[in-house]
Amino acid sequence: MERRDFLKVLGIASGGVAASGSFSFGQNKLVSRVLPPPEGHVPGEPVHVHSVCTECPAGCGLTVTVRDGLPIKLEGNPHHAVGGGALCVRGQASLVRVYHPERVRRPLYREPGGELEPIGWDEAMGRVRTELAAAAGAGRTNAFWSGRSTGSLARLIGETCAALGLERLPEFEIYHHGALRGAYDRLFGRRTVPVYHVDRADALLTVGADILDTFLSPVEFARQIAPKLEAGWPWFHAEPALSLTGARAAHRLAVVPGSERFLLAWLLRAVPARQPLPVDLLAAIPSVTREDAARKTGVPAADLDALARALAAARQPLVIAGGVSVAHGDGQAVALLAGLLQWSLGAIPALVDFSADHTFDAVGTLADARQVVERLKAKRVGVLVLSRLHGLELLDGAVEALSNAAFSVGLTDFLSSAFAGCRLILPVSHALESWGDAEPQRGRLGLVRPVFRPLHDTRSEGDILLQLAGKTNSFKEYLFAAWRPYPAVWWKQGYVERPVRAEAVKLADGAAGALATLGQAPELPAPVLVVKPSLRTFDGRSRVIPLLHEIPDPLSTVTYGPWVNVPPGLARSMGLADGDELRLGGAALPVRVLPGLPDGVLLTAVDAAAGLGLKSDPATGELLACHGGIATVKTGRRIPLPFLSGGLNAAGRGILPGDEGHHHHHEKHSLYEPYEYVDYRWAMAVDLDRCIGCSACVAACYMENNIPVAGPEEHLRGREMSWLRVQPYVRDGEAPVFIPVMCQHCDAAPCETVCPVYATYHNEEGLNVQVYNRCVGTRYCNNNCPYKARRFNWFEYDAPAPLDRLKNPEVSVRPKGVMEKCTFCIQRITHAKDRAKDDGRRKVRDGEIVPACAQTCPASAITFGNILDENSRVYQLAHSGRAYRLLEMLGTEPAVYYLSKKVK
Amino acid sequence: MSLGTYFDQLEHDVLAAMRKPSKLYWIALVVSAAAFALGLGCWGWQIYEGLGVAGIRSPVGWGVYITDFVFWVGIAHSGTLISAVLFLFRAKFRCSFNRSAEAMTVIAVMTAGLFPLIHLGRCWFFYWLMPYPNQRHLWVNFRSPLIWDVFAVSTYFTISAVFFFVGLIPDLAIARRRFTGWRHWVFRILSLGWQGTAEQWKHYAWLYMFLAAFATPLVISVHSVVSWDFAMSVIPGWHTTIFAPYFVAGAIFSGTAMVITLVVPMRRILGLDNYITVDHFEAIAKILLFTSLIVSYSYIVEFVLAWYSGNPFEIAHFSFRAVGDYRYLYWLMLFCNGLLPLTLFVKRLRRNLKYLFVLSLFVNVGMWLERFVIIVSSLARDFDPYNWGNYAPRFVEIGVTIGSFGMFFMLFLIFTKMLPVLAIAEVKEHAS
Repeated sequence: MERRDFLKVLGIASGGVAASGSFSFGQNKLVSRVLPPPEGHVPGEPVHVHSVCTECPAGCGLTVTVRDGLPIKLEGNPHHAVGGGALCVRGQASLVRVYHPERVRRPLYREPGGELEPIGWDEAMGRVRTELAAAAGAGRTNAFWSGRSTGSLARLIGETCAALGLERLPEFEIYHHGALRGAYDRLFGRRTVPVYHVDRADALLTVGADILDTFLSPVEFARQIAPKLEAGWPWFHAEPALSLTGARAAHRLAVVPGSERFLLAWLLRAVPARQPLPVDLLAAIPSVTREDAARKTGVPAADLDALARALAAARQPLVIAGGVSVAHGDGQAVALLAGLLQWSLGAIPALVDFSADHTFDAVGTLADARQVVERLKAKRVGVLVLSRLHGLELLDGAVEALSNAAFSVGLTDFLSSAFAGCRLILPVSHALESWGDAEPQRGRLGLVRPVFRPLHDTRSEGDILLQLAGKTNSFKEYLFAAWRPYPAVWWKQGYVERPVRAEAVKLADGAAGALATLGQAPELPAPVLVVKPSLRTFDGRSRVIPLLHEIPDPLSTVTYGPWVNVPPGLARSMGLADGDELRLGGAALPVRVLPGLPDGVLLTAVDAAAGLGLKSDPATGELLACHGGIATVKTGRRIPLPFLSGGLNAAGRGILPGDEGHHHHHEKHSLYEPYEYVDYRWAMAVDLDRCIGCSACVAACYMENNIPVAGPEEHLRGREMSWLRVQPYVRDGEAPVFIPVMCQHCDAAPCETVCPVYATYHNEEGLNVQVYNRCVGTRYCNNNCPYKARRFNWFEYDAPAPLDRLKNPEVSVRPKGVMEKCTFCIQRITHAKDRAKDDGRRKVRDGEIVPACAQTCPASAITFGNILDENSRVYQLAHSGRAYRLLEMLGTEPAVYYLSKKVK
Repeated sequence: MSLGTYFDQLEHDVLAAMRKPSKLYWIALVVSAAAFALGLGCWGWQIYEGLGVAGIRSPVGWGVYITDFVFWVGIAHSGTLISAVLFLFRAKFRCSFNRSAEAMTVIAVMTAGLFPLIHLGRCWFFYWLMPYPNQRHLWVNFRSPLIWDVFAVSTYFTISAVFFFVGLIPDLAIARRRFTGWRHWVFRILSLGWQGTAEQWKHYAWLYMFLAAFATPLVISVHSVVSWDFAMSVIPGWHTTIFAPYFVAGAIFSGTAMVITLVVPMRRILGLDNYITVDHFEAIAKILLFTSLIVSYSYIVEFVLAWYSGNPFEIAHFSFRAVGDYRYLYWLMLFCNGLLPLTLFVKRLRRNLKYLFVLSLFVNVGMWLERFVIIVSSLARDFDPYNWGNYAPRFVEIGVTIGSFGMFFMLFLIFTKMLPVLAIAEVKEHAS
C-alpha cells in the first residue's frame, strides 16, 4: 500500500469509527493483538500444538505451528512413537486440506432428484432423526458405514449406533490387509496386522511389502531402516514391479508377478528352522526345489542362495509379506507361507508383535463391502450414514448402489465420489479444528486437539454423533472423561503409551488344514498390470490436495497424472514413447517409460485405476493388484504428460556418487578475493545412502517457504517452482539413485557474478542470498547456474481463498518477474541466532538450526550446520571420506556435500 | 552534361524521393505500423500477465527475445562499418550506401535496445541497470556482462546517432534550399546554419574524420561485449574464447545482408538506379562473401574445440547441436550462412541484383537462426540431465518479433521520406 493510500484509509476508518461511536467491527481482534492473550502468547510468536496426522492410516504424531491463530506448518511430533518427529510427503501437504477452497462449508440437503442446497444444522439433524424413524418403520435397516476408526471415536461410533439402532457395517478401507489378517487368523488365531520391528532385525526379506512407500507405517519404517541403510545390511526385497522400497533395498529381486509363493515355499525348507514346524504342517507345504523356485520366480538361483544364506546367518531375521504380493490369486498362500516363515525363523513374537498390533479390528475386507453393496441393491437399507469412505469408486457398482438407500447422510469434508450423491451432507471439521484421539497401533495414543476455530460452519464427527444420539454433552467432554486416567505427559507431549496385554502366540491347530486346502492360481500371462497404492495420494484420498500433484512421483517424475509406467523393453517393442496413449482394458492412459521396471510388467497407481474395473480376490477380499494378460493397444493419440526429469542417464557428468567426473588438477585462478568467514559458513550434508526418495523434504519446503503451486499447464512448459527436488538417475542394471538437489550455496557462485543489479550476492555467512525487491528478472542467474536451482516467477501465483491464508509470515511472498530459490531456510537461521543472543550465547549451537527439509526427513539424511566449526556434524560428514559435491570440476565450490559409500 | 546540370539533376532526383509518397509506399508503411502495433500489444499483455505468457522456461531462460536483441545489434553493425571504416579506407562506393546504412544502424540499435527491456521480468525497473546515485546506496554489479552491455549499446547508439546527424548536415542545407513551407523551417533548424563555406567544410571534414575513427573500434567492441553475455557464463556452447571475433564477423555479415535487403528495393522504388550502381552492389557482395567465410570458419572451430577439449559436456552439447532436437535449425543455418554465400565466388551472380536480394534474405534468416541455435540449444542441454528441456516460442514472442520488424521498417520508411537517402554532398565530391 502506498503511504498516501494508507493515510487515506486511516482517515476514513478513524472517521467512521468516531462517527458511529461503537467499536463493534473487527475490534475484538485488534484488542487481542495489543493485549497479551491469556495463555501468555506473544502476538506474532509461533505456538506449537501437538496433534495426530489423519491423512493416512499410519497416524503419525504432529506438531502444528500456529501463528496468529492460524496453523501454518505441520511437523512430526518428536515425542510420538509413530513418526518420531518426521512426516511424509502427504502429511506435510495435508495442511492444504484445511484451507481447501472446495471444502464443504455448511450442511447441504437435496430433495429427491434436486440439487444440494444449504440448510441449518438443527434442521439437518431433525431430518436425520425423522428419516431414521421413518426407515425403521418401513422395515429397513439403518446403517453406519465408515472408514477405519480408532481411539475414542471408534468407541463413540459403537455407542451411537447402539443408541440409534444403526447397524455398524464393517469399516471400509481399500487397503485393509485382509490377506495378512486372514493368514494370521488361520495360523495363530489372531485376525490382525502385527507390528513389525524392523529396527531389531539384522536381516530382512520384504515380499511385496513396500515399507518405504505406503505399507502400514512408512515413516516409522524409514526411521528404523535409515541407520541400517547407511551401515549396509542384508535386506532383500522381492517385488513384481518397482517401488522406492525396491530401489533402496540392498538386493532387489524382481519376481514374476504371482510367483512369490514359490520363493517362500522354497525358503521354508531351505533355511534351517529355529522354531520347528509341526510335521503335518511341514507336509502341507508344497515342495519346491531350488531350480523350480528360480524358474518360477525368475530370480537367478545364485541370488536365491544368497538370500537363504543371509537369512540363515542372521541372528534375528525378519520376513514381511504384503502389498502387491498378497493381492493376487495366490495372495492367501503368500501371506500364509510368510507367516509360517516368520514362525520358523523365530521372528514371532520378538519381531512380529501381535500384542501391540495395528488397530484394524473393525475393518472389513472388500468381500464385506461387496455384501453391503448387495444389500443396498436389494433395497434393504434405510438410512445410511457414511463417513470417511475413500476409494469406494474402485469397487464396481458401489457408488451407484448408494442411491438405493432410503436416505443417505454423508459426514465429509469434500464431495468426493462416495458422497456426491448423498441426500444430506454434514460437513466435518478437520482434525486441526476438533478434539479427538487416535490409536493407530494398540496402546499408542495420540492427542488430537483443535488449534483454531473451524474455518467454516462445520462440526467434528464426534459432536455430530453425540447430537444425533440426542446427547447434551460435547465430544470434548466425552473425550476428557476418557482421558481422566492419563498422566500429565499426555497434555505435554500429546502422546502416551498404555500397556498392552502380551499373549503368547502359538500355532493354531487348524493351520495345516488351511494350508492343505489352498488352491493354486493359474500363472498370470504377460503383460501383467500391477496396481499399487500411490505414494502421493495413497488410495486416492489425498487426491484433493493440489500440492501432491505438483510434487513429482519420485520414480517417474510425473506430476499431474494419471499415467501408466511401461518397461523400456515393452516400450521399444510397441513403439511407445512418453506421452503416447495406451489402451488397457477399459482405460486409456498416457505412458511413461520407467527403466528398472521388469519387462512384461506395467505399473500404475490405484488412483489412476478407477476405469480399469478392478476385481477383488474372493479368498482374501483384497483388491487385486496384479492383472495378467491385460490387452494393451497403442491408440496413436498423444496425451500431454507432465514429467520433470529431462533425462535419467547422468553417466560421466560428475553428478552420481562414484562418478564425480574429471577433476582438474591445476590450480584454480580467480579474479576475485576469496571470501573470509568469521563466525559461520553454513553448509549441508545430504546422505545418499540414507535418502529413500520419499519426497517429504520437497513438501516440507513448499509449506515452509510459501512456494506456489504452478499447475499442470506450467509443468508441461517446464516451469515448476520447487526449491528442492529429488532427482532420480538410473545406471545400467542398477536400482534408481535419488539425489535431492537444492541451491548449493556455492563459494564461487556463477549466479552472483552475472546479476547486473546485485539482487543475488554472497553474504558474510556463505549464503547465496536472493533479494527479491532488487531483482529485475533478467534470468541470467538461472541460465548460469549449473544446478538450475533457481525458480522464476512467471506469473503472480495467487491461491484461491481461503488457501491464501496458508502462508508462512516469515518468508516473503514473491511477486511476478523475480527469481527465487532455496535459502537454507534463512528464517530459521535468523531465529536461532536471535535465540542464541537472547540466551547470552555468542554462537548458535550445532544442530540448533534445522531447515524444513532436514526436519521432516524420516531417514535423517539431511544435516545442516556451520562448517567452520570442526566439531559440527556437518564438518565431520563433509570430511568423512564419503563426501563429494555435484559438478565439482566446475570449481563452483558448493556448500552442499553429498555422502555415499560409492565415492571413490 | 556539365557538372552543374548533373548536380542539379542529382539534387532533384534525390530530393524527389522525399515528395508525395506513392500508393506502394503507403501500403508498406501501414503494414509496418500494423506489425509494430501488434508487437506493442503483445508486450503490453506480457507486462500485464507476467513473462509466463512467453515460451521461455527453465532451463532456457533466454529465447527469442535475446535472439532478436543480438540479431538487431548485429544488423546495426554494417551501418558503422560501411560508413566509418570504408570512409577511413577511402572506399568510393560507400557514398551510395552510407546514408541508408547509417539510418539502418540508428534504427536497428533502437529496436535492439528494446529487447533487453522486453525480456525483463520487471521491465518497469529497467533503470536499476544504470548506475545512478540514489538514497539507498544501491549500485550496479560491474562484474556482470549485462552491465557491460548497457554501456556498450548505449555508447554505440550515441556515437552512431551523432555520426549520422553530422553526415546529414550538408544535405540538410541542400534540402533547406530546395523545400518551401514547414519543411524549409525544419531543415533550416536541423542544418544548424550550414553555409558551405571553406571554413565550415574544413571543420566538418575534421569532425567527420574524428567520428569515423571513434566509431570504428566500437564496431568491434559492441558486438564483442554482446558476445560476452554468453562467453562469460559457464554453459557449454557459450563458454568459449572465440565468441568475440565470431560474433563481430557474424554481425558484419548480417548487417551487410540487411543493407542489401533494404537498398535493392529502395533503389527501385525511389528511382536511384543512376546513383547506386551494380558495381556498388558487387563491392558489398564481396564483403558478404568474406564475412561468410569467417563465420563458417568459426562454426568449424567450435566443433573442433569441443572435440579437442575432451570435455564431456562440450562434446555432448555439440553433438546435440548437430543431431539433437534443434538439428533442422542448425543445418538450415549452415546452409544459409555457410553454403549459399559461396555462390558469390561467381561474378555473374555477384552482379545479379535479384539474386543478391534473395540471397540476402536467406542470410538474414540464417543469422537469426545462428543466434537462436547458440542461445537456445546451449541452454537446453547443460550439465545435469534432470534439468534438460526444450523451448519453443509462443505467440507473444512471435508477435513481439514481428513487431520489431514492423518498427524497423516503419522507421526506415519514415526516414526515406523525411531525410535525403543519399549523401548528396559526397556524391558530388566524388563526381567532381
